[in-house]
Amino acid sequence: MYKLLLCWRYLLTRYLALVCIISVMLGVATLIVVNSVMAGFSTKLRERLHGLLSDIVVEARDFQGFANPEGKMALIQSDPFLSQRIEAMTPTLEIFGMIQFNCNGSPIARPVHIIGVDPEGRARVGGFAEHLMLHKGKPSFALSREALERNSLFHPPRRLDEIARSMLPKPKDGSPVPDPPPSRELPPSTIIVGYAVAHFRAKMKPEEAAQEIRTLDPGDDVWVTTISGQGMKPVEWRCAVCDYFRSEMSEYDANYVFVPIDELQRLRGMDNRATSLQIRIKDYRDLHAVKDRLQSLLPAHWSLSVHTWEDKQGPLLAAISIEKGILNVLLFMIIAVAGFGILAIFSMIVVEKTRDIGILKALGASNTGVLNIFLTYGLLLGVVGALLGSLSGVYITLNINEIEQWLTRWTGHELFDRSVYYFNEIPTDLNVWSVLLINGGAVAIAVLFSVLPALRAALLHPVRALRYE
Amino acid sequence: MRDNIPLLTAIDVHKAYRKHAIEVPVLNGLDLEVYAGEFLSIVGSSGSGKSTLLHVLGTLDKPDEGRVLLEGERIDNQPAEQRDRLRNQTFGFIFQFYHLLPELSTLENVLMPKMIALPMRGWFRERRALKQAATELLDRVGLGHRLRHKPRELSGGEMQRAAIARALINKPRVLLADEPTGNLDADKGEEIVRLLRDLNRQERLTIVMVTHNMEIVANTDRFVRLVKGRVEDTSGETAASIANHRSASGVCLSTDVEC
Repeated sequence: MYKLLLCWRYLLTRYLALVCIISVMLGVATLIVVNSVMAGFSTKLRERLHGLLSDIVVEARDFQGFANPEGKMALIQSDPFLSQRIEAMTPTLEIFGMIQFNCNGSPIARPVHIIGVDPEGRARVGGFAEHLMLHKGKPSFALSREALERNSLFHPPRRLDEIARSMLPKPKDGSPVPDPPPSRELPPSTIIVGYAVAHFRAKMKPEEAAQEIRTLDPGDDVWVTTISGQGMKPVEWRCAVCDYFRSEMSEYDANYVFVPIDELQRLRGMDNRATSLQIRIKDYRDLHAVKDRLQSLLPAHWSLSVHTWEDKQGPLLAAISIEKGILNVLLFMIIAVAGFGILAIFSMIVVEKTRDIGILKALGASNTGVLNIFLTYGLLLGVVGALLGSLSGVYITLNINEIEQWLTRWTGHELFDRSVYYFNEIPTDLNVWSVLLINGGAVAIAVLFSVLPALRAALLHPVRALRYE
Repeated sequence: MRDNIPLLTAIDVHKAYRKHAIEVPVLNGLDLEVYAGEFLSIVGSSGSGKSTLLHVLGTLDKPDEGRVLLEGERIDNQPAEQRDRLRNQTFGFIFQFYHLLPELSTLENVLMPKMIALPMRGWFRERRALKQAATELLDRVGLGHRLRHKPRELSGGEMQRAAIARALINKPRVLLADEPTGNLDADKGEEIVRLLRDLNRQERLTIVMVTHNMEIVANTDRFVRLVKGRVEDTSGETAASIANHRSASGVCLSTDVEC
């Protein structure tokens, strides 16, 4: 009983104890915030990485692609194992290329990855429709009315009809001039561009936060250049921007453009050909089983390769896990520093309390009793520190974006550069288990580092302790 | 006030301290008998080993050689738990510098030996009765109005009374007092000695008190003088005669004894 009473009193009367508590608190709060943000980034990044990629991709080994994607899809569907597990499939035609457009009168050219898709089919595979900014959830290559009007400004209606009419020989009999065959007003070809292709971030003034500047409005003209399927002849066509694709993965947003697959097939002279099949499966746990089955099903001479999205993003995923590992080591150092702080402060408290320890022993307290006083003290410091640290850590994590904005305003320096990740806000993933683990670890370390001073206190000779000045 | 069976016996006790690799002998074959119910004082010059003797008697320290017996049973070589229990139950200590725990109130300080003795459950079961007992004890030593005060809010005399109450809470058989008046002025010191005297007479409490003050010695049943770690024969003198002699002549008996 006296142990608890003394611990409690020591806790309330020692300002050094407060220092211990603060060091534990800071450690725990930092760990929780960093872990949550890291987990948030990791989860979000995985989501994004997966986002655009379908679960499984069947690819041709070259950019000439393979013929008859419908037939191949039918073959896959005819397999009972696969047809049960596959949710959706769609062919895509992917090719590198270049786009050119005018921005404030100066021409801009960018290398891009051109993907020909069937918007509805691609949407069923996932990771497409939800990233469209104007047709969110309703994927299409249609131009909105405003975009169409804007596009027509660049291409005033040709006076072809009048010209044609004037060139026709005038009938002698004064009968009305017959109408020329109507010139078909073709709707312009359209393109969905990555958000970062059409926007960039820049600082107008050095002291201001960076602003987003749009270089392509819906309806603006873009020239796309690539190569044809056979003979590698250059192919070039004009299209109008109809939408932006924003996956918040800068790698995709800065490089990808989407065009209708049939148009790309026609322009590249690759009718009924595709370079890959995107497959979405019903249950993610079947990923590898489906992949293996596909590999055995597709004949080798078609030279198609099967990848899961994880295979395709292997290096990036590995990088994330390495990052996490290093971070954990560094964070462990933080706790160790806090632990040594506790050790030092505890040793001081034991010295300060030497005479009290002698008194307690004179009154019949055992060595174990004295040991327990200081171990309990360590435990109490750890628990209080961890509790306060958890509260502040969770609070900071939940309000991290407000805090970041406030800091950005305060310092004028953008802490979280949105152009790097294209996340609108700092993602966090507050995991109850990791919070509990951090708390347990902090308390354990507080107790562990108080063992040495506590032992010292317990083994003090009572007479020497009593005489201690 | 003295029985013929020795309650506490020290036989041929040796104790030395090491100071920078030099062995400093403190007790050199000391023999002492303390009888139940007596008020014994121990006098001697500084460094004659009075405090060490008290520590050895109270199992706070172990003799290098020799034995300490409680009612004929050896206690100096008992295991640590036994000696902890003896200090808690059988001996009560009071010190020159009071040695109260600064974080606790007077009442809590007095209850400390009880808290050490009882496990958590027992403490909570008997808490009320124990607080009552401690309050009564503090009333007895004249501190009934100071229950909630911290030691630093008490005067020296009050702190020593609190320390006496603490030493008595477990109803010890022997009270070991190490210069209890050494830090108090004459009046307060006298009050403390009167209190000890009353306790000795009324509760038949055995008291062993180390002191410098020969006037106090006159109030005790018997005294022994330590010289160079041994008990000097004092059979010819009585405390009263010493006190009388000294007050008559105005000369200190021993160079180190305070006047």
